[in-house]
Amino acid sequence: MGPWSAVLLYTQHGEQCLAHRAAWKLLSGVREGQTQVDTPQVGDMAYWSHPIDLHFATKGLQGWPRLHLQVWSQDSFGRCQLAGYGFCHVPSSPGTHQLDCPTWRPLGSWREQLARAFVGGGPQLLHGDAIYSGADRYRLHTAAGGTVHLELGLLLRHFDRYGVEC
Amino acid sequence: MVSEKSHLGDQQEPGHEDPNADARPLSMPTRRGPRSLPPIPSASRTGFAEFSMRERMREKLQAARSKAESALLQEIPTPRPRRLRSPSEKELETEFGTEPGGKIQTTQQEDDSQSYSRVKFRDSVRKIKSKTPDEEELLDDKDAVDFLLGLDRGAEDIVAVRPADYESVHIRLQKEKELLFIPSRRTVPTYKKLPENVQPRFLEDEGLYIGARLEVPRTNQNIMENRLLMQEPGRRWFGDDGRILALPNPIKPFPSRPLVLSQEQDIKAELETLYKKAVKYVHRSQHMIGSGDPPGNFQLDIDISGLIFTHHPCFSREHVLAAKLAQLYDQYLARRQRNKAKFLTDKLQALRNAVQMSLNPAKTPKSLDTTRRAINEYKSEIRQTRKLRDIEQEKDRTLLKTIIKVWKEMKSLREFQRFTNTPLKLVLRKEKVDQKADEEAYEAEVQAEISELLEEHREEYEQRMDEYRSAHQQWKAWKKAQRTKKKKKKQGVEEHPDDEMEEPYPGEDPVKPVPPEPTNQAVIEQEVRERAAQSRRRPGEPMLVPELSLAGSVTPNDQCPRVEVLRREDVKRRSVYLKVLFNDKEVSRTNSRPLGADFRVHFGQIFNLQIVNWPESLTLQVYETVGHSGTTLLAEVFLPIPETTVVTGRAPLEEVEFSSNQHVTLDHEGVGSGVPFSFEADGSNQLTLMTSGKVSNSVSWAIGENGIPLIPPLSQQNIGFRSALKRADAISSIGTSGLTDMKKLAKWAAESKLDPNDPNNAPLMQLILVATSGESYVPDFFRLEQLQQEFNFVSDEELNRSKRFRLLRLRSQEVPEFRNYKQIPVYDREIMEKVFQDYEKRLRDRNVIETKDHIDTHRAIVAKYLQQVRESVINRFLIAKHHFLLADLIVEEEVPNISSEGSGILGLRLFKLAEQKRPLRPRRKGRKKVTAQNLSDGDIKLLVNIIRAYDIPVRKPITSKFQQPPRSSRTFSEKQAASPTTHSPTHSADYPLSQVLVRPFVEVSFQRTICHTTTADGPNPSWNEELELPFRAPNGNYSTTSLQSVKDDVFINIFDEVLYDVLEDDRERASGIHTRIERHWLGCVKIPFSTIYFQAKIDGTFKIDTPPVLLGYSKEQSVVAERGFDPVRSLSEGSYITLFITMEPQLVPGESVREKTSDMLKKFDSQEDEKLLQATEKFQAECALKFPNRQCLTTVIDISGKTVFITRYLKPLNPPQELLNAYPNNPQATAELVARYVSLIPFLPDTVSFAGICDLWSTSDQFLDLLAGDEEEHAVLLCNYFLSLGKKAWLMMGNAIPEGPTAYVLTREQSHYLIWNPCSGHFYGQFDTFCPLKSVGCLIGPDNIWFNIQRHDSPLRINFDITKPKLWKSFFSRSLPYPGLSSVQPEELIYQRTDKAAAAELQDRIEKILKEKIMDWRPRHLTRWNRYCTSTLRHFLPLLERSQGEDVEDDHRAELLKQLGDYRFSGFPLHMPYSELKPLIEAVYSTGVHNIDVPNVEFALAVYIHPYPKNVLSVWIYVASLIRNR
Repeated sequence: MGPWSAVLLYTQHGEQCLAHRAAWKLLSGVREGQTQVDTPQVGDMAYWSHPIDLHFATKGLQGWPRLHLQVWSQDSFGRCQLAGYGFCHVPSSPGTHQLDCPTWRPLGSWREQLARAFVGGGPQLLHGDAIYSGADRYRLHTAAGGTVHLELGLLLRHFDRYGVEC
Repeated sequence: MVSEKSHLGDQQEPGHEDPNADARPLSMPTRRGPRSLPPIPSASRTGFAEFSMRERMREKLQAARSKAESALLQEIPTPRPRRLRSPSEKELETEFGTEPGGKIQTTQQEDDSQSYSRVKFRDSVRKIKSKTPDEEELLDDKDAVDFLLGLDRGAEDIVAVRPADYESVHIRLQKEKELLFIPSRRTVPTYKKLPENVQPRFLEDEGLYIGARLEVPRTNQNIMENRLLMQEPGRRWFGDDGRILALPNPIKPFPSRPLVLSQEQDIKAELETLYKKAVKYVHRSQHMIGSGDPPGNFQLDIDISGLIFTHHPCFSREHVLAAKLAQLYDQYLARRQRNKAKFLTDKLQALRNAVQMSLNPAKTPKSLDTTRRAINEYKSEIRQTRKLRDIEQEKDRTLLKTIIKVWKEMKSLREFQRFTNTPLKLVLRKEKVDQKADEEAYEAEVQAEISELLEEHREEYEQRMDEYRSAHQQWKAWKKAQRTKKKKKKQGVEEHPDDEMEEPYPGEDPVKPVPPEPTNQAVIEQEVRERAAQSRRRPGEPMLVPELSLAGSVTPNDQCPRVEVLRREDVKRRSVYLKVLFNDKEVSRTNSRPLGADFRVHFGQIFNLQIVNWPESLTLQVYETVGHSGTTLLAEVFLPIPETTVVTGRAPLEEVEFSSNQHVTLDHEGVGSGVPFSFEADGSNQLTLMTSGKVSNSVSWAIGENGIPLIPPLSQQNIGFRSALKRADAISSIGTSGLTDMKKLAKWAAESKLDPNDPNNAPLMQLILVATSGESYVPDFFRLEQLQQEFNFVSDEELNRSKRFRLLRLRSQEVPEFRNYKQIPVYDREIMEKVFQDYEKRLRDRNVIETKDHIDTHRAIVAKYLQQVRESVINRFLIAKHHFLLADLIVEEEVPNISSEGSGILGLRLFKLAEQKRPLRPRRKGRKKVTAQNLSDGDIKLLVNIIRAYDIPVRKPITSKFQQPPRSSRTFSEKQAASPTTHSPTHSADYPLSQVLVRPFVEVSFQRTICHTTTADGPNPSWNEELELPFRAPNGNYSTTSLQSVKDDVFINIFDEVLYDVLEDDRERASGIHTRIERHWLGCVKIPFSTIYFQAKIDGTFKIDTPPVLLGYSKEQSVVAERGFDPVRSLSEGSYITLFITMEPQLVPGESVREKTSDMLKKFDSQEDEKLLQATEKFQAECALKFPNRQCLTTVIDISGKTVFITRYLKPLNPPQELLNAYPNNPQATAELVARYVSLIPFLPDTVSFAGICDLWSTSDQFLDLLAGDEEEHAVLLCNYFLSLGKKAWLMMGNAIPEGPTAYVLTREQSHYLIWNPCSGHFYGQFDTFCPLKSVGCLIGPDNIWFNIQRHDSPLRINFDITKPKLWKSFFSRSLPYPGLSSVQPEELIYQRTDKAAAAELQDRIEKILKEKIMDWRPRHLTRWNRYCTSTLRHFLPLLERSQGEDVEDDHRAELLKQLGDYRFSGFPLHMPYSELKPLIEAVYSTGVHNIDVPNVEFALAVYIHPYPKNVLSVWIYVASLIRNR
């Protein structure tokens, strides 16, 4: 996960735009949440083992749920700063999936980079939409922020009834 | 090869004639280079010259050599070819090759081997060539000599020293030229590129599209073309136009990915980044409790543009008139704009036309009836319209007249005072009218009116005429009858004198009707004309249009009289400013501006108020300063809080009027204010004007940077999470938000003149269109993808219909009904419809007050309210509940430690092994606590250990003769002394010796499971038995919160087992025993489960709640008293039982949740002073340090979740007057009555109502309204009552059994202290051993808190003198004086009298329900009711209430005996506060009266409800069973 002393993970699940809301309905589970802080002691890998338990009902395929992730890192003073944005779609086939969600963070101007290196903090997106939409995202100067590994077990039900082969 | 050879041969031939065949292969490679390429002329010439010369030399040599060779070859013919053929001997071969050059050639020739590599061949050739002829000659000779002589050639034979090979540049170039082809750079003529005789064809000229070719330099093209022509003669590379075929230029004219711009240049909004500092990690839940939106970014813009005085003390008379004139003119303008008269005239005209139309029968196809009706309607409408029009016209006219009159007055005033103060000037403009047309119109109008009136009158006349006629007829008939009667009378005066008397005509004689007068046309016309003249403009008279202007000139000061100059100077000295008050707090003020001569003040200031909450009030205060003398508040102007649609830039300026009631008298021309003055010289016609004016202002909501109006959410409570999407909806995008009413929106859109064609407004316009077109369907969404529906599997309805999904969702939402569902069926069909029934019913009934469950409406309302409070509180804490602590998630067993005591395995345990076993000295083992998560039904058991009981009532013999004991109405002091002699021993003589006194056993019932002990003997039995009862949590949910909310009680009932001999026949007595066991209820102890849960164990002696009257039983006090050995016990009356109750396994009470949430609660805003809160924390910390186990309470949480200092709850409050009047001279009795009243308010623990969340304290009025509360509320109320009765009373926080931490009330009597249990109404002396209060933590008075810092905390052993600082640590002391905190309690409690009729009704209903229940509980037996007994009991109950259940037993028994002498009677009254029906039923059930199954048993049940004020009801239930004695 990079040389963070500690890493937090905020997860934000799909259903952000209206299309999602129209087709997908959250039956149970928490739509967004936050993991604990992990301090990687061996290697660079931070382990969260944070369970995500969601139950959706859908009336259409549009707006397939996706996971929005924000990785935050905590420094030795207990201050938090953004370490990366990322999102990935929930797979569409049942079973256990290993997902790798690459993350990135905006780099900002050299001044900001310098400030980030010394006093912490860092540029953050004002509008979160750019994370997952935004054809103009290439304009941003970004830096890679590590990869979040997700292990999702998926159960689908009645999709075949509507002619969807998963 | 072959072809080459021939080819070469052909070419060679012209140059040389070489007969020698040997020479040919030598020359062959030199010729091969050019091959088919055309020889370059210049190069080839030199080559030839050289070539030919060498050739000749070689030929000579060859000739000589060949002779010698031929001889040699014949000698050794065999090895040669073999050597040549082997590739491994190439080196040798070359060496040999040099030596006899020709020899090799020949052999090669002979073999015709083609396997030789050409390179080698050439190499050898080159070597040969490079050697000068002399050398060759020489070598050859030497070799030949050597060879011939047979000399040893040795090294020379293997190694040859050679000079470095060198090929001159020229030669190399020459050879390269031969080998390589360099295409020319010249342009290829077109004909070469095209097939023969084909003209080049240019597609472009023919109009076909050819893309732009890639730019290639001309030379490159030429080279390519030349090369292609040479290499591929097929010309397929060339197009029709003779150029190389080429694709259009693939390069886009612009880069498809624009350059990455530097940061400074504009970046799209969504890509903006913001540098955020690294933030300290704040816990999320703190955010959640606060509002979702960051506070403080709401803004209210108040634009104060100016102020106009409509009256001011400094007004001169002229000003007064001018103000009046201006006002009238405004009115006139307004009227003219509306022009109602014109509108009404038009309407009238239209109506008349309509009547004309309908009168014409040809045009109306409708039936005659309908037309007539229509005409009638029209006519009545015409009448009304005319009336209205006349009024309007008259008003217009009078207004105009008044304006003119005021203007004239003003003019005359100006003339009179000879100066002008105001620039007002009225000009009357005349508008010419066409006299003739006007007259005609006037006349026509008058005529029309006359005709209509005439018609009306005629109709009226007809009607009256009809009336007259009928009346006349009647009158005539009456007259006739009268006459005949008179005749009759005369005839029979003598016979029927009575008749006449009886027959006076009822009422007076009918008056002879007068025929109505016919209408007089002339009169009507006269009337109409008069009216017209009055209200209407005369024909031909010009229309007058007044115009008010400020064109006049004001007389300068030097021409005015002194008084006026003084006035003007006074005005100049005055200045005005405004204060802006937001929520009654001054937030800013305008500049002070001088008052102008025209009494207008211009401010033009805009105040931006940054606010956090929704504004409550907005006020402007108008202040006036006179000179330097100071300011006076003129008036307050209340501004309306703008609607959410009003945003800055769109708000119109509004004028808000104000007026002041100040009285000002001035010594100059100014008329003053509130002072009568007059325009007339003689002082008549006085006027009094008050200072008044108008503030023109506008209040609006500011718009934020991104166009969102900065409006705080309407209700601060339900600030939900407003997502960014919600902000961006159609309505808020145009600058409003929070609009829900479509009608209002439409109205607003119409008012704000929204451009419907503006594409920005399109969604809004559509919304309005849909909303206002009457269709009820308003989509509450904006569809992004309209085709979405095509892709949907199912419709929304279908999705919503799915029961499974619904169940899942409800479960995850933790809706109470579904909270504890474990597994949800997989298929919809497996889910019963009835699962939702309760939930739906609850939703439906949310606002409907259900009276079925709660018989009495007030309770129903309260229950609903309580439910709502509970829901809101629970919702508030839902987040807190999901916030886990480390301990909640991680179970970490303590690491065994050598040094640690008890838990150390290695340490003490090791020694324990060696210890002696002492089975007779058992040691207590600590039980392991179990967290309540992984439990299921049957895991938890309730263990009830019943040890012994004291003073159980004993049976009384049934005596036929009854002696009335002397009844003494005991006073309090006697009771205090508790003389045991009051009950005289009346029975001991009558006891049959065989009969035991009593055979009690204990039955414990919990959750309808019943266990009982064996039967013991005597009034002081000892059972020492352990009963085990299973515990089931509601819905199988064993979570902490669920367990905390278990409302069940443990009933411990004590019964007497009575054996009856039922042998019918005495003869059988010898052979058999036939007895029936009956059990008689003696009393019960009720312990709520929640207490057991929180206390973990309950151990102690409890007072048995015995009924005040227990028929057939009495206390066995005589024996005790006579012995006199147990004074302590005899002090208190009643029976006691020693119990030990616990749970197995021990559950961890949800203490952590409570603490956690109470911590959260502390963060709720408090209105207390910050310093005070700090002090409380400090105090509590200090107390906890010294005595961690003692309860110390300083702040509590009120019902709205705010932290309140505890003493604010204590304040003298009046008890109901009714109670005070009961014993006017006996304060102690009054106190008892009051305590009883408080105890009658039902008890409902907070832990139950607010499942495991926290203790909420409600104020006394809330408590009385809710009619439910726990110990604190009871105690607070009781304490407040005592304070108002003039007692010294404190709230005492401590521990009691069985309640646990609780609140009692301590009062100080003259010489001693009394401890009151507020929930039962009982009181105990300080030294009463049976006082349930076991420890005292702190005392709370109305103005201080005292913490117990004595060594002991048992009330028996402590000193209650709070003045001693060594014993009691007080909160407010000299260092922190009492700041005089105001109370949260109301000023006074208001008690409504409870409706007696309602109580009586409730009483009947309860009785009926209970009777039904008893019958239900006895399904196999017939239940007979003894009506006679019931009525007796019913009479008896009010008596019990009056005496509070004391000392009436004997009377009662006597009476019963008298009436029901031949019945064996057992029964008792139960007394309870009334809250719900269920506890009553539960109590009756627990007595087990219904369990009697003697065949001829009869029952009696009576209910009595005594209403106390404020709906506090005391319920008495008398249940009895009767068995007829044989």
